[in-house]
Amino acid sequence: MWNRCSRSNESDHVSVQCKVLSDGQCARLYNAVLEVLERTGCEIFCPEAVELLKKAGCWTDGLRVRIPSHLVERAIGAAPSRVVLADRNGKRRLFLEGNNTYFGPGPTNPYFFDLQTGERRKVLKSDVYDVARLVEVLPNMDFAMSLACISDCTSGLADVHEVHAMLQNTTKPIVTWGYNAANMATIISMCETVAGSPEALQKNPFVVVYAEPTTPLRHSKEAVEILLYMSEKGLPQLYTPGVQGCATAPASMAGVLVVAAADNLAGLVINQLKREGAPYIAGGVTTNMDMKTMIHCYGSSPEFSLMHAALTDFLHYLQLPTWSTAGCADSKILDEQTAIEYTFSLHSAALSGANLVHDSGFLETGLSGSLEALVMADEIIGMSRNIVKGVRIDEESLAVDIIDKVGPGGNFLTEEHTFKNFKKEFWIPRDINRDIYRQWSDKGKTTYGDRLRARAKQMLQESVPKKLSDDVLQKLQVLVDEAEAAKV
Amino acid sequence: MELKAIYECVLTGERDQIEGVIQRALSAGCRPADIINNALIRGMDEVGRKMKEGDMFVPEVLMAANTMKIGLQAVKPLMEGEETEAPGKIAIGTVSGDLHDIGKNLVVMMLEGAGFKVIDLGVDVSKDRFLQVIEEEKPDLIGLSALLTTTMKTMGETVQAIGGKVKTMIGGAPVTEDFADEIGASGYAPDAVTAVDLAKSLIF
Repeated sequence: MWNRCSRSNESDHVSVQCKVLSDGQCARLYNAVLEVLERTGCEIFCPEAVELLKKAGCWTDGLRVRIPSHLVERAIGAAPSRVVLADRNGKRRLFLEGNNTYFGPGPTNPYFFDLQTGERRKVLKSDVYDVARLVEVLPNMDFAMSLACISDCTSGLADVHEVHAMLQNTTKPIVTWGYNAANMATIISMCETVAGSPEALQKNPFVVVYAEPTTPLRHSKEAVEILLYMSEKGLPQLYTPGVQGCATAPASMAGVLVVAAADNLAGLVINQLKREGAPYIAGGVTTNMDMKTMIHCYGSSPEFSLMHAALTDFLHYLQLPTWSTAGCADSKILDEQTAIEYTFSLHSAALSGANLVHDSGFLETGLSGSLEALVMADEIIGMSRNIVKGVRIDEESLAVDIIDKVGPGGNFLTEEHTFKNFKKEFWIPRDINRDIYRQWSDKGKTTYGDRLRARAKQMLQESVPKKLSDDVLQKLQVLVDEAEAAKV
Repeated sequence: MELKAIYECVLTGERDQIEGVIQRALSAGCRPADIINNALIRGMDEVGRKMKEGDMFVPEVLMAANTMKIGLQAVKPLMEGEETEAPGKIAIGTVSGDLHDIGKNLVVMMLEGAGFKVIDLGVDVSKDRFLQVIEEEKPDLIGLSALLTTTMKTMGETVQAIGGKVKTMIGGAPVTEDFADEIGASGYAPDAVTAVDLAKSLIF
């Protein structure tokens, strides 16, 4: 009997990744961020946070807070290097650690493309139902966001209604935005109701809350109160500055990164001072302002993707879970430009190894959302993931015995090895077309956009939401009604 | 019940199981002709349908065709005395100058899976060789394959040489319906599954 393994490393498998910054560059960037926080500091519009920072040893002058470097270093050390998100049933699904990358839609767009009429109109609560139901069945959408700032509800309660819609239509983890801490309390109560208890949600969280500083170096009362609230709750918080080179940051990519990281780490210090060890996801939207139109560039800016990858390197260097952006376009409709913007940004994000990547389904610089664009993003991610998975090199995949068996001029189509491996090794398209001309023309000469619209409609029809119990549904409705009553 | 199990075996390409399942069906009293017509052939019909719908992939179809073939070999010897429905005899090869035979081999497997008797002439088959086979074997149909745009010309010459002696069907990546009309072939199929349907329609 012979042992066929002649080497100790039988399976050798590395995934494809990119690195934009060296460790030396990360160290230099880190020092610049620490210097900005210590020398320039930031403005914090929340008295409770200013008080916390002052007690911890910051220099304060009214709203202005200068943070000594050791406090930033301590916060980074105290925050967990990994966060695990569960599904609605408490099963642990998304491991935000290392280079694991998960994708989902974006938030807060006022417009939406109606799937039936093709018309661009204001976004509605029913659109969020559709987004959540689609995310539920799309294999490469790992978490839900609303893809909306809905227009058909009481002013100031869109966030609450959107979570209400998502909880009922998907079991995937939810990332949500919020107006303020009061709404956040309602949202968290809804999630605790679904989880069964506050402790159940804390142990296996399926919700992440998104808040934004007002870049550069300013932190609004609303954003900071959400940071404090989530920290106290021990639930995952993400803090995401939107930084634009030439406008809210210097006209250099490094300058954008310094501002993004400074705003992010100031948030982390507050979050960790409130409760050490609170789960925190760092990141931001890093781009440039277009100097002709003054728009905040999304996927049409190559530096958008490059700076996101660089920020991811930096946050990996600090060993913090990361948040990034991709699958979004400056194009106004789903067209050829959108496909380019989505592909570059999604593939760059996957290569960078950012943990949570949001904004799939965005058009018009994040001002409108589209279901068919979400379906396209999902297929692009499928292609990208099959590149990032790398090449498996082992005895079975080298297949020397099969090559010998088939011999010169033979074919491998009928081999058991082919039957077993073809789906595992090679990506299979869903709506990307590989028909021969005749088949394609027989099926109506459709464009990719035609097929995406048809697919989105079909998937929505087939996606049956897994219902919450009547008891839970009723409690959720009570929470929404209470929030409505408080607004009057 | 037993026939259903055979049908499922073909559909999922259980090559190692098919003989055992057929033996059980025979022990249970199933007639060989029923096994062929109502289980094996029905299984392959379903495979063909699924392939066209995009629900099955080529390696899976080939596994099913192979399973079907093993099944047929197990049942055929028991058919003596009974009326067997042989759908027809087909001679097939790649035309002179063309050594690409993957597509042709797929068509052979699918035709055999559908129960046809197939004479595989292999690759680089000259016009004279086709004419000789027509003389000696009296096939119902000739299949010709070409992958190269440069051997399409030879395909035209071969079909013209065969003339009205026997019907011809052609295929291969660059070949089209229009080209078939142009050279006077009886039919064209874009893939192996369609080739089976085409063969049936040309023979019956």
